[in-house]
Amino acid sequence: MTTNKTNKFTVPIGPQHPALKEPGHFEFTVDGEIVTGATARLGYVHRGIEKATESRNWIQDVYILERICGICSHVHAMAFAQGVEMLANVEIPPRARAIRTLIAELERIHSHMLWAGVAAHEGGFDTLFMYIWRDRETVMELLEMLTGNRVNYSANVLGGVKFDVQQDQIDEIRKGMDKLEERSRYYLEIVTTDETFLGRTRSIGIMDKKDAAVLGAVGPTARASGVERDVRVDVPYAYYPDFPTVSITDNAGDLEARFVVRMKEVLESVRLIREILDHLPEGDLAVRVPRRIPEGQVISRVEAPRGELFYYIESNGTDTPERVKVRTPTLPNWGSVLALAVGHKLADMPMILVGIDPCFSCNDRMVHITNNKNNDQVWSWEQLRQYGIEYYK
Amino acid sequence: MLQIGSLVGNVLQSLFKRPDTELYPFEKKEVPPRLRGTLVWNPDKCTGCMLCVKDCPANALELVVLDKKNKKFMMRYHADRCIYCSQCVVSCRMNCLKMISEEWELASAQKEPFFVEYGKSEEIEQLLLEKEAQSDAENNGQE
Amino acid sequence: MIKVTPLLALLIFPGGLFLLNIGMFYEWIDRKLVARFQNRIGPRWFQPLADTIKLLAKEEIIPEKVHAGLFTFLPVFGMAGALASALYVPLAGFAPSYSFSGDLIVVLYLLSMMTLCLGLAGSNTVNRFSLVGATRTLTQLFSYEAPFMLALLGPAILTQSWQISEINFFAQDNIWILVTQPIGFLVALIGLMGKLELPPFDAPEAETEIVSGALTEYSGRGLALFHVGKDIELVIGLTLVSAFYLGGLANPLEFVLKTLGLLVVMALLQSLFARLRIDQTVGLWWRLGALLALIQLLVVLVF
Repeated sequence: MTTNKTNKFTVPIGPQHPALKEPGHFEFTVDGEIVTGATARLGYVHRGIEKATESRNWIQDVYILERICGICSHVHAMAFAQGVEMLANVEIPPRARAIRTLIAELERIHSHMLWAGVAAHEGGFDTLFMYIWRDRETVMELLEMLTGNRVNYSANVLGGVKFDVQQDQIDEIRKGMDKLEERSRYYLEIVTTDETFLGRTRSIGIMDKKDAAVLGAVGPTARASGVERDVRVDVPYAYYPDFPTVSITDNAGDLEARFVVRMKEVLESVRLIREILDHLPEGDLAVRVPRRIPEGQVISRVEAPRGELFYYIESNGTDTPERVKVRTPTLPNWGSVLALAVGHKLADMPMILVGIDPCFSCNDRMVHITNNKNNDQVWSWEQLRQYGIEYYK
Repeated sequence: MLQIGSLVGNVLQSLFKRPDTELYPFEKKEVPPRLRGTLVWNPDKCTGCMLCVKDCPANALELVVLDKKNKKFMMRYHADRCIYCSQCVVSCRMNCLKMISEEWELASAQKEPFFVEYGKSEEIEQLLLEKEAQSDAENNGQE
Repeated sequence: MIKVTPLLALLIFPGGLFLLNIGMFYEWIDRKLVARFQNRIGPRWFQPLADTIKLLAKEEIIPEKVHAGLFTFLPVFGMAGALASALYVPLAGFAPSYSFSGDLIVVLYLLSMMTLCLGLAGSNTVNRFSLVGATRTLTQLFSYEAPFMLALLGPAILTQSWQISEINFFAQDNIWILVTQPIGFLVALIGLMGKLELPPFDAPEAETEIVSGALTEYSGRGLALFHVGKDIELVIGLTLVSAFYLGGLANPLEFVLKTLGLLVVMALLQSLFARLRIDQTVGLWWRLGALLALIQLLVVLVF
């Protein structure tokens, strides 16, 4: 049916929308059911955390930064603690490193299962959503038994961890791992063989390797397109030098590949946890870190469940930090969504949005650009580069 | 291969299994011993170093000095500001603070339960009496 | 078979008030079954009734730039169509009150009136989500209507009549048509799921994509009427399919057993699949559905 004027209008998704779990605004220009353009606007969850860290001392900041995100809280605290320990030149005992890694891997399992359930719900597959979240209770109970809370574990202190892993807890963790492994294999099989679900995920949102590398995607989103970017493999930290992990990639680059990569990462985390539990080293839990950290700047990178998490910490010798800058993994992934959205149907938009595992709360930082000669709102790549060169002269 | 409805095995099983929902107020699961419930303070060993007050990210603790030489203190704990991170437990070198796992249902409809005062009650009464006596003495002195 | 006077049937029993309550009861059973399949508890027996009462008590907001008359009357028309079709089907095991030759077509169109009203209601507003939802509703109407009608035609051809009560009697006297026309039964069952917009065919009402589809702007009384209308459609659709394929409905006991059995199968199918996109739905129906229905008709005509 052809008409003289094409039926283009904009469908707003957000700030309040059942597809988004957190507020964010996306405008899709739609022609019938085909999307022809996409813009995004973020910043609804900006809480001023980076500024808040400047008026609290180092020990309090661990907890402030931990609450940037609910699902990746432990890796935020771990990145901060690692950075401060590098500045203060202390070396934490191996048992502390192992326990930190153990909890980080448990959190990765938790985060991937949460995401898989939410993505199934966006695709209309409520049964899978309920089943995955039922099995996620296993890992939440393990974390509660180990750390004392189901989210915001508060396991890190500057210099180590707060509590120990006892033998009966190790047995419980092993039992939980057996159950999780069996269920994850089942879900991996469902996601790759169920025809109706494949109709929603196969060949949708394909991002090839070159695009992923150029757009700067990180984490499982990039690994699903074949780009091997994994901080645990490239720059090992915590306990990973002793127990290396493999970076899991897939070449298809569509939504199904992202599911496959994340479920396989769950299986890999299970294997890693079992290995760490078999070889847990003896030793102290924490070393003493002075209250005033010496001057300096440091960069700390860890692999959050969503990608590479990047902290820049600057100290001026007192007991409060000078500047803490956080760059979370969801921010570079937005570019890939906006580039991919064109050409797909409107019904695929929620799946594509959720396919990068967005965490809006992590996202909102303020970037303040002073000394803007042209007073433009939009910069080209050349202008940005020129600005960077002049800034660092 | 055309596989439709691959979940059918699990789905049919679930019809005959007991639902996984926990009927919360009527049946409660056992909590692990490490659960970070509300805070309790043991005043016997407190030395008044104030590290817990300094390190609390939410400013939930206040230590009132009743008598510094005899180490008599009173602690005010704002349970509604507390974020249950247990940094105070770690900071205290004398192990005076503990987060207990028995009391974790802390919701309330009034504000009073959230302002908890710890300390020996005789000492608080003595302090209040002393303060009253002091202010009376001042008033009498002024007149 | 007992026949109830038409006025009584329309207002009280087995149409009218009784039908409203049975509709809510069936909705509860459907929700409870789906919940049990998903390993949850599900709502208590009075939940749909509580939902309806709550909605009736809420304020009805008429948005700007809509045709107010259409906005308020479309839910009423839809429900009226669904209620009127109760006169022609063997509801609750009683013979249909009004019965004339050709009432199969009338019933099918009365049931489609509900969907048409939904589509119109969605197009009535300026809300983006409603417009997309209305488009999808009407697209889905065009796609499943033909195979569904052909599937219901199979037993009609066997009986050589267009009258529902005669088909009902024929089905009672012979072996279940399910056995002799299994493909037709499959198409009819899945067509019923498409008509009622149950998952996997709930693209017109996809919660995560277009909030609530055509019903987004409705609240209060209009929404309550639409929901109750859908429940009534559920009952009437189940009655039709079980009367044709499951050996006719001779008495209330058979009615309850057969329609509930069909509801269990439908709840199972609801929880097994992901949501199909609207273009996948259309593709599926026009290719697979129409083909199967035509094959079935061919078989019936030849033998």
